[in-house]
Amino acid sequence: MHLKVALDYIRRAPFQALAAISVLSVTFFVGTVIAILVYSSSQLLNYFETRPQVIAFLKQDAVFEEVNTLQSRLEADPRVKDVSFVSKEQALEIYKNATADNPLLAELVSPTIFPASIEFSLIDLARAREIIDELKANSVVESVGFTASLGGGEASLNEVVDRLKTLTFYIRAGGVALVVVLGATSFLVLMIVIGMRLTTRRGEIETLSLIGAKSGFIRAPIVLEAIIYSATGVFFGWLLALILVLYVTPAILSYFGAIPVLPRDTMSFFLLLLAILAGELVIGVVVALWGSLLAVSRSLKSK
Amino acid sequence: MVEFKKVSKNFGSIKALSDVSFKVDKGEFVFIIGPSGAGKTTLMRLLLRDYTPSSGEVIFDGKDIATLKKSEIPDLRQKIGVVFQNFRLLPERTVRENVEVSLAVLGVAKQEWDQKVNDILKMVGLQDRAELFPSQLSGGELQRVSLARALVTNPKVVFADEPTGNLDWETAEAIVGLLVKISKEGKTVIVSSHNKTIMDKLGKRVIELKAGKLVSDSGGKK
Repeated sequence: MHLKVALDYIRRAPFQALAAISVLSVTFFVGTVIAILVYSSSQLLNYFETRPQVIAFLKQDAVFEEVNTLQSRLEADPRVKDVSFVSKEQALEIYKNATADNPLLAELVSPTIFPASIEFSLIDLARAREIIDELKANSVVESVGFTASLGGGEASLNEVVDRLKTLTFYIRAGGVALVVVLGATSFLVLMIVIGMRLTTRRGEIETLSLIGAKSGFIRAPIVLEAIIYSATGVFFGWLLALILVLYVTPAILSYFGAIPVLPRDTMSFFLLLLAILAGELVIGVVVALWGSLLAVSRSLKSK
Repeated sequence: MVEFKKVSKNFGSIKALSDVSFKVDKGEFVFIIGPSGAGKTTLMRLLLRDYTPSSGEVIFDGKDIATLKKSEIPDLRQKIGVVFQNFRLLPERTVRENVEVSLAVLGVAKQEWDQKVNDILKMVGLQDRAELFPSQLSGGELQRVSLARALVTNPKVVFADEPTGNLDWETAEAIVGLLVKISKEGKTVIVSSHNKTIMDKLGKRVIELKAGKLVSDSGGKK
């Protein structure tokens, strides 16, 4: 009965319903896009964090015991992970694989020019500088490479780290701020629409109250109406974002190459989007419940 | 069943009721008469705890209703069937839905609705108007829908506020006839009216109010 009444309310004032649904759709469209951006930026960071970011090239005359000591020390270091030793032969093998399409290049080099190295990843990119400085001071280390600074050299190390952190921060903080502003606007629009409904139905509310309706009975269709707006807004916002993401995914995947900023298989891709939809539905219902209950309470108090 | 003990109700400097006392027993039929502004509707609203008395007590089923908690007020109202002066029907719902609202409010199981609504609409003679909206009904029919809504939950007390106010003589008599009928079934019926002809014809107890004061009671215990 409450659902029928709620649907009747919507049917009888379609433009108010449209206004509420439109605003909520925009909010959840932006919300979905930002959720995907946050996911992609996390994947981007995770990709860099799980790569062997630091390579300590060892001196040609490095003694096995000293190298072993350095490796053990790094393995015990809580600031680093995925420590591995790459011998000269393994380095040559990597080079050969990388130049497989041009075997002549591999034949031209001697295995002795490739130094052995110790590779590892960093737990926190911000601590790269101190770890690299420590390594440089080690007697068996010839030089230190940092893959995150490729193209810029070690001089731009701090800049690279800062850029990655700033980018992530802006995506997350900017996204949250935008969603909060749009969420607040949606909340107010929802309250205004429900408030208008209550004003036009004041007589009905009073009659229901006089014939013994409990406040839950009076509130139920109004709350349901708000939930319908919210759920519809969530769905349309999500659908628009889905269409947009499907449209740009091939370009994004091609641009980022091996970096999995978005799931590559269809099932994982849709599971991600369904998880976002589920999360947004929960948020939508909470906003609807909160907004409508607040509007009803204000209306019943002012009676 | 219902007792007003020295009840006064003031709205600022306006005295809507002054020191009114009367008692209505179970199964009794009482007319409350008086001109407009005499305090008849105020009595109804006090009985429903829509207003609280400025002084005095309104006793329903042995309990001073002023002491009820806010959450207990709906339970009180569910025991009283009210026929409102201006009908107070829900304009966007059909006759059937208007009557069903009372059952929904009371929490009656949905499978019982059809039987109860059909029976009550038959009793008030509106079985063929069930699917019409209030705007499609005459004044007398609206009053009967209001009566059906008040009676469908089988309340202990029925309070009809000016149920014959805007009706022609024949329709007014039919409405009062229905109220008498339900009174004979053991319900307490309080009817506020200024239709002296009907009252004289029925010969029931009459409480007269004037400017908020009880001026006469033809058969009650004060």
